[in-house]
Amino acid sequence: MGGGAMPEQGGGHGKKRKALDATINVVPAIDLLSCCISFLLFTAVWTQISRLQVQQLGSGAPQDAALQEAQKSLAITLAVGERGLLLVVGDATFEIPSLGRSPEGAVSQDLKSLAGRLKSVKGEHPDQVSIVVSAEDTVPYGDLVHVIDACLAAGLLQVSVTGV
Amino acid sequence: MAIVTPGKRPAKRFEASRILGGKMRRGRRSTNAELNVVPMVDMMTMLVIFLLQQFSATGEVLYMQKDIRLPDARHGQLIEPAPTVAISADQVVVTGQKVADVADLDRDAGYLDIPALEERLREERKKWDFIHQNDPTRKWDGLVTIQADQKVPFRIVKRVMYSCGVAGYFNLNFAALDVGSGAAAGQ
Repeated sequence: MGGGAMPEQGGGHGKKRKALDATINVVPAIDLLSCCISFLLFTAVWTQISRLQVQQLGSGAPQDAALQEAQKSLAITLAVGERGLLLVVGDATFEIPSLGRSPEGAVSQDLKSLAGRLKSVKGEHPDQVSIVVSAEDTVPYGDLVHVIDACLAAGLLQVSVTGV
Repeated sequence: MAIVTPGKRPAKRFEASRILGGKMRRGRRSTNAELNVVPMVDMMTMLVIFLLQQFSATGEVLYMQKDIRLPDARHGQLIEPAPTVAISADQVVVTGQKVADVADLDRDAGYLDIPALEERLREERKKWDFIHQNDPTRKWDGLVTIQADQKVPFRIVKRVMYSCGVAGYFNLNFAALDVGSGAAAGQ
């Protein structure tokens, strides 16, 4: 039980020696650990939910002057639809077709190509932080979140969402 | 932590007594058993370390609902307390109170606003104003969290977003399951 023994020593003829074995009382440690475990179990959060912050375009919301300037300098728009993704950077247009439909009928978007394209756009325009995501009515919420996540991964942190 | 067998426990001088005829004598082996608690302490320490890693100082801001499956995201931020609009496949709920049916919203697709949702969000804003009336440094941030099932179409989310904007909630947050380390690191 948490004991520590000292090595045997020579000498000391005839003297009555004290026991050299020392025992550490671990009962208070167990009490403390039990309390800690109970508290942490009660307050534990098992599901980690995060948030993706977006702006609603054209809602009359007050916007930062810096953000408005950034949007004026270069307009990046990403249209999400059933046929795929359409990225418009200034005058250039890049089409990323969808990968087809899953057995349930849902459209699967080519998010890898989108991530690569957004990364190259960010490399060409390192100061650009804003992007407008325009989604069709049929786009599921899951796909929209994945597209916004790809934008955030590329460093385009000011995401505005609007309908088509 | 010695465990002693129940029964008579006479003093040692009685145990050796000839008068008592060795009735009190016990076996030569010690009856005291030592319980080794070191593995238990090790296990408890590991448990405490694991639970401390899971610990979240903000607590459970958003509760998972069985009819809402959230999509995954890797680059989300730490979630903050805000009114929550939950959109399942059947209904729209604001902080536990149902405000609309998704089937009804699909039926009158010509409109963008959801009056019941706007009314409920205005009530939430009144509460916020009342709580922060003596705090002039705190400005209205218009934060609202939208927690929708991953299969809910954007036409429903769009109407919810529009209603949030009309009620003064411009700062929208889409809830997602964190599969990266962004939220955990408190970005």
